[in-house]
Amino acid sequence: MLHMQDVSKVYRTELVETHALRHFDIAVDEGEFVAVTGPSGSGKTTFLNIAGLLEDFTDGSYRLDGVEVRSLDDAARSRLRNEKVGFIFQGFNLIPDLNLFDNVDVPLRYRRMPAAERRRRIETALERVGLASRMKHYPSELSGGQQQRAAIARALAGEPRLLLADEPTGNLDSQMARDVMELLEALNAQGSTIVMVTHDLELAARAQRNIYIIDGQVSDLDLAEAAARPLVAAREA
Amino acid sequence: MNVHPILATLRRHKTAAGLIALEIALSCAIVSNAVFLIGDRLDRIRQPSGLAEAELVHFQLVGITRVEDPEAQAAEDIAALRAVPGVRSVATVNQIPFGNSSWYSSLNLEPEQQNPTMQVTTYVGSEDLLETMGLSLVSGRDFVPEEYVEFQQAQSDPEVVIPAVIVSRAVADRLFPGENPLGRSVYVWGAAPQRIVGVVEHLAKPNDIGGPSSEHTSVLMPVSAPVQYGINYLVRVDAGRRDGVLEEGVAALEAVNPSRIVLEDRTRTFEAFRDDYFQDDRAMAWLLVGVCVALLVVTALGIVGLASFWVQQRTRQIGIRRALGATRGQIIGYFQTENFLIATIGIAAGMVLAYAINGALMGRYELPRLPWYYLPLGAVVLWTLGQLSVLGPALRAAAVPPAVATRSV
Repeated sequence: MLHMQDVSKVYRTELVETHALRHFDIAVDEGEFVAVTGPSGSGKTTFLNIAGLLEDFTDGSYRLDGVEVRSLDDAARSRLRNEKVGFIFQGFNLIPDLNLFDNVDVPLRYRRMPAAERRRRIETALERVGLASRMKHYPSELSGGQQQRAAIARALAGEPRLLLADEPTGNLDSQMARDVMELLEALNAQGSTIVMVTHDLELAARAQRNIYIIDGQVSDLDLAEAAARPLVAAREA
Repeated sequence: MNVHPILATLRRHKTAAGLIALEIALSCAIVSNAVFLIGDRLDRIRQPSGLAEAELVHFQLVGITRVEDPEAQAAEDIAALRAVPGVRSVATVNQIPFGNSSWYSSLNLEPEQQNPTMQVTTYVGSEDLLETMGLSLVSGRDFVPEEYVEFQQAQSDPEVVIPAVIVSRAVADRLFPGENPLGRSVYVWGAAPQRIVGVVEHLAKPNDIGGPSSEHTSVLMPVSAPVQYGINYLVRVDAGRRDGVLEEGVAALEAVNPSRIVLEDRTRTFEAFRDDYFQDDRAMAWLLVGVCVALLVVTALGIVGLASFWVQQRTRQIGIRRALGATRGQIIGYFQTENFLIATIGIAAGMVLAYAINGALMGRYELPRLPWYYLPLGAVVLWTLGQLSVLGPALRAAAVPPAVATRSV
């Protein structure tokens, strides 16, 4: 499903060259639930951005659902992102001017899907996350947990091959975080492939597999060893 | 087109969108009317005089001493002017189109008529006047020598008969719509009727008195021009010889009688008269062009300002849309569609306002109804302006990277 080999990402300014990822290798199979953890500044978000085609990488090879993405232009990447990837963001990232129905509709419209099919998918997705009765509500009228569930519905409506979650419970209290996590587990049980980036090792422990990133590389530490590491990465320039 | 979510967003930003729509409405209304007024002025400026303008020069002289035999002196002047190289014909004339001072007469269809049928401007001059002017006869004929009457005689003798008149097509159509005017009688000068012997296509008036509805209401009479106190000569010359004839003509006239003053501001090419006459119209047209350009620039700046503000305000939203699969083209399309919708609302209101302004102008001034095709024309201009104005901010929006969606707030 997701296969990165020897991927590196370098951010360059006039004065500094920062290696966010170096010789990064990862493979995620279909149906897996993988948690990616690591200290702040270790390269988790860079990995997520590259995995979700939000950012280009400097070197290496990345195949998403069998498609080598390196040679794709911006429009082709956008289409691939729209069709294959569903995002769940830490800050929910719902569009405040649109109600839930229209928010879930956003990625489907970019796919130029017929209106009836869009409506069916939106209603199904909102029902799946328990928000069918709130589809005319605006994000500001919902709790944080409901907003995150709406964001999950938006990710699901496109029936993506891969769900990428970026600290999905980071802005939620513990009860709402539990609800969202249970929802993600349920989705995984129904066959969704999920890659979740988190700094929360307790949440990570609930995933099928854990990957620990340190200094832009996949580490062979296990979770217990990772827990003993400092929270902020020492970054070489 | 993703109209529904854009309208949903606009509904939540009514004030900003409404102000831009209002600005577009005002621009649409004012620009439509201004362009119409510019067109009206240009039509006036371009109106045909009926004369061979490119070949005509005009001389005007006033005497400072009494002349014993002014007719003989006029004959001498004409001979002197004809001798100037490049001169094709010369005629005395009482007035010229766009020359400002005008002779007006009442025209009646019956003798002893209480109220005149219409007012006409009356051209008189020597026998070569029609040919010198270069007027185009659409029917009938020029005057014959026997029909000519001396001006002094026509003025002083109430029994004198002026037998013929040539009218412009505008006069003929107004007096005898759909009928042949030739041979019909009218009363312009004296108690006896004049028979219409010819119709010319155009013969503009010296000035605007009577308004647009009286354009080209002119007649030509077989009466010699007055020569007692001053005299006008219209001279038809070979193309390219106008300046030379003016210079040499003045010298020739001064040689005939040096105790006369050649009026410099009335001694020039016919085109110079036309330029002067329509100076105010040109100034008004340019002023209106300036108003239109200023309004359109202000509107464009308003659109650029609001679109730039929205792009800045929605940077994260744009990143989210990109993350959800929007291509750069779809982001540009979003802003263009949004602008198109705001512009359409403004244009619809502007069309109603344009007719209201036109109605008010019609009530105050002698202006016709704004033709309907000015409205789609204005709409296309404002739609295009809107699309061009929003393009810069839209391109900046399209450059927002999708990774913005994962940045911390």
